[in-house]
Amino acid sequence: MTLRALLLVATALFSIGIYGLLTRRQAVALLLSIEVMANAANLVFVAFARYGGAPGHPLVLFALAITVAEVAVGLALVMLLYRRHGDTLLDLASEAKG
Amino acid sequence: MSPSVTLALVTLVAPLAAALVSVVIPPIRHRGMPAAILTILGSLLATGASALLLMEDVAGRAIRATVPWLVVQGRGLGEVGVRLDAVSIPMLGVVCLVALAVQVYSVAYMHGESPRSYGRYFAYHALFLFSMNTLVLAPDLLQAFAGWELVGLVSYLLIGFHFDRPTAARAAVKAFWMTKLADMGFLFALLLLYARTGAFSWDVALRPEVAEATAGLVFLAVMGKSAQFPLHVWLPDAMEGPTPVSALLHAATMVAAGVYLVVRADPLFAQAHWVQGGMLWVGTATAAFAALLGLVQTDIKRVLAYSTCSQLGFMVAALGAGSAFAGYFHLGTHAFFKALLFLGAGSVIHAVHSNELKDMGGLARRMPLTAVTFALGALSLAGIPPLAGFASKDAILTALEGRAGWIPWAILLATAFLTAFYMGRVLVLTFLGKPSAAAAHAHESPPAMTIPLVALGIPTVAGALLGPWLARGLGGEMHLHLGLTPVLASLAGLGGLGLSLVTYLRGREAPLAGTLAALDRASVVDRFWAFGYRSLLLPLGGALRWVDRYLVDGLMNGVGWGTLEAGQAVRPVQTGRTRDYALAVVVGAVLLLILAAWR
Amino acid sequence: MTEELGFGLLALILVGVPALRVVTSGNLVRAILWLAATLLGTAVLYALLHAAFLAGVQVLTYVGGVVTLMVFGVMVTRKHEGTTFTIDGTGRLRGALAALGFFAVVAAAIVRTDLSALSVVEPPSTQDLAFSLLDRYLLAFEVASVLLLAAIVSAVVLARRRDPAPDPATPRDAAALREGSTP
Repeated sequence: MTLRALLLVATALFSIGIYGLLTRRQAVALLLSIEVMANAANLVFVAFARYGGAPGHPLVLFALAITVAEVAVGLALVMLLYRRHGDTLLDLASEAKG
Repeated sequence: MSPSVTLALVTLVAPLAAALVSVVIPPIRHRGMPAAILTILGSLLATGASALLLMEDVAGRAIRATVPWLVVQGRGLGEVGVRLDAVSIPMLGVVCLVALAVQVYSVAYMHGESPRSYGRYFAYHALFLFSMNTLVLAPDLLQAFAGWELVGLVSYLLIGFHFDRPTAARAAVKAFWMTKLADMGFLFALLLLYARTGAFSWDVALRPEVAEATAGLVFLAVMGKSAQFPLHVWLPDAMEGPTPVSALLHAATMVAAGVYLVVRADPLFAQAHWVQGGMLWVGTATAAFAALLGLVQTDIKRVLAYSTCSQLGFMVAALGAGSAFAGYFHLGTHAFFKALLFLGAGSVIHAVHSNELKDMGGLARRMPLTAVTFALGALSLAGIPPLAGFASKDAILTALEGRAGWIPWAILLATAFLTAFYMGRVLVLTFLGKPSAAAAHAHESPPAMTIPLVALGIPTVAGALLGPWLARGLGGEMHLHLGLTPVLASLAGLGGLGLSLVTYLRGREAPLAGTLAALDRASVVDRFWAFGYRSLLLPLGGALRWVDRYLVDGLMNGVGWGTLEAGQAVRPVQTGRTRDYALAVVVGAVLLLILAAWR
Repeated sequence: MTEELGFGLLALILVGVPALRVVTSGNLVRAILWLAATLLGTAVLYALLHAAFLAGVQVLTYVGGVVTLMVFGVMVTRKHEGTTFTIDGTGRLRGALAALGFFAVVAAAIVRTDLSALSVVEPPSTQDLAFSLLDRYLLAFEVASVLLLAAIVSAVVLARRRDPAPDPATPRDAAALREGSTP
């Protein structure tokens, strides 16, 4: 079924996002990875809305809103990081060390 | 709870309360006199209670009131409480009365001490009375053991009372470790008894070999506590303690606890004939040996110490012959006249500021009350009829008639002669003849010291009257009869006394005195124990200390160190880097998914 | 079966390839552009799945808004000398393993599930969607509005100019990081 294919693709997309989440050192690049992951989740919702009649579309709209909010705050944090350390490498924010 | 049990508890609680208050509230102890008042008050209550108990008739029936102790799986490991019968009540009376007399005496005798020491002294006395009563009233051997060890502790504390004196400190340690070594017998006896019977009572029928083993082990402890040969060497050294302590602990009560224990556990010892045989010979040997050494001592307290040792030998021999009554009777009379003698000696020491006989002399004129009471005590000890000591000694000799081919009987008869002889020596050198330089300025002691002397003098003289009462309580009989033994005993006493008076008034010495003095100085037994202490006990202690410091402490410190090291080792996990934490989240999520999916 | 395969392949090409480039690209700006491509590909997929309205919203908000925001973010935080190049790649093995592990578990679950009971359904029309937002999902709608407000306020508060200068120690740390050693 195409549903299964869709789900597998979405899972692959999410996994790619995880790879990016764990690998990237730049803060903005990390946010990009998170975007990819959120996108994959939305894809799943839409797939199930098409195959099975789940109320996926409203969920996607709300997910979109939440994601947008998250990006906004995330970028604000990146600004803070840059101002604090002069660069946006995430490892600089290691005050929780030890 | 019956009134008798209440009275018994008073004898326990009153001194304990006095001791606790003195210990827990330092100001009372530090001021000295308040502690003394508390202790004497406690002893008064105890003595009163014991007197009331004496007036009850407990012959033939015993009152036993206990509560289980250390309850495990619904059953107590042992029992704690009191047992009131014809064995415990008389001893209770003796202990409380003598303790009271000694404590009142101490009020004046210990006056030279600092208030803090004074208070400490009386706190110890209160503790002692409680401990001794715990032993006397014990319903089984477990509580008896507890009381036994406690009095041993107080003995250590009081012998070494002046702990800044090296001789006193050493004497205290010596008494402690020697008696503790002997007490291991008691401990193993308890273990054996529990293994065989599941309880600690002496009122059980045991297989012969078990009875012999148990009784033998207990007797080992008795040898230590009651200073029987060869475990006697701590007693003369124990004279380092204050004289009232010598009177109470090391003459009247604590050392007699061993004899009391055998009387108490008579049903057990009656089943152990070999042990009894051993007791007969050990007691006889001790009595003779100690009497010989007592003849050549120059320190008045040491004479009395060896005399105590000898008399304890008499008691043990009587017990070995199977007569618990004779041993117990002598225990009672001895408590009174020996305490009297020690307190009298203390009075003399107080007057001339010396323990040595050569610093005394001619004190009869200057200290009449002390002299008279001391003389009465000496006569009682020497076995001069009709004084108490004669009656009890006669009972012992009667019990020994025919045993082991009359040999112990003969030896003890000779020892009675020696006893009278060495006491005569003391009387002459102390109270008669020409006074020494120190004695010339002596004067009678204050009433606080002389009144107890008089008080103790009464049972010393009249104690024989209580014999039949005591015998009936123990299920036997006693009557004064005119037979071979009493006549010979009287002759031995009178003869010994007369001969010594004649010898020493003329300023001469006894025959063989030189040899005996040399024997005393050689202190063979003492050296043997000292060697054992140095070469076995101390190294063992050192080894155990090493184990404790490096293994036990090491283990504990190791655990602490290990914990800290482990914490440090795990620290690098906290990198502070977001990526690492994200990895942890993802890995955790994956694991949880696996868990959920493959359930 | 072939339909499935074909669809899967199409989906992979549309979104899988750009996504891979997003997470592996060395140049940050390029990565952002690849993200835009991913999001566009997703929009196409939505359209194919009869979710036309969502496709439109996707393009508007994501491609239009979010990507633009990202570009702005990069512009503001780049160093004043030259373009921002990123050096990445540490912990690649761990990341790959974790991602693969995740994929393996979830994919296995998907493959083993029986999805035959689910049939093709026509998703709601735009009008139905609008009605439902103000009818069934009114509370969620309002809460989402509040959330967006909160996000705006917090972003503004966080990004206010407060500190006079960056931490003096860290330019050294940053340089060290760029060279590959840990500070």
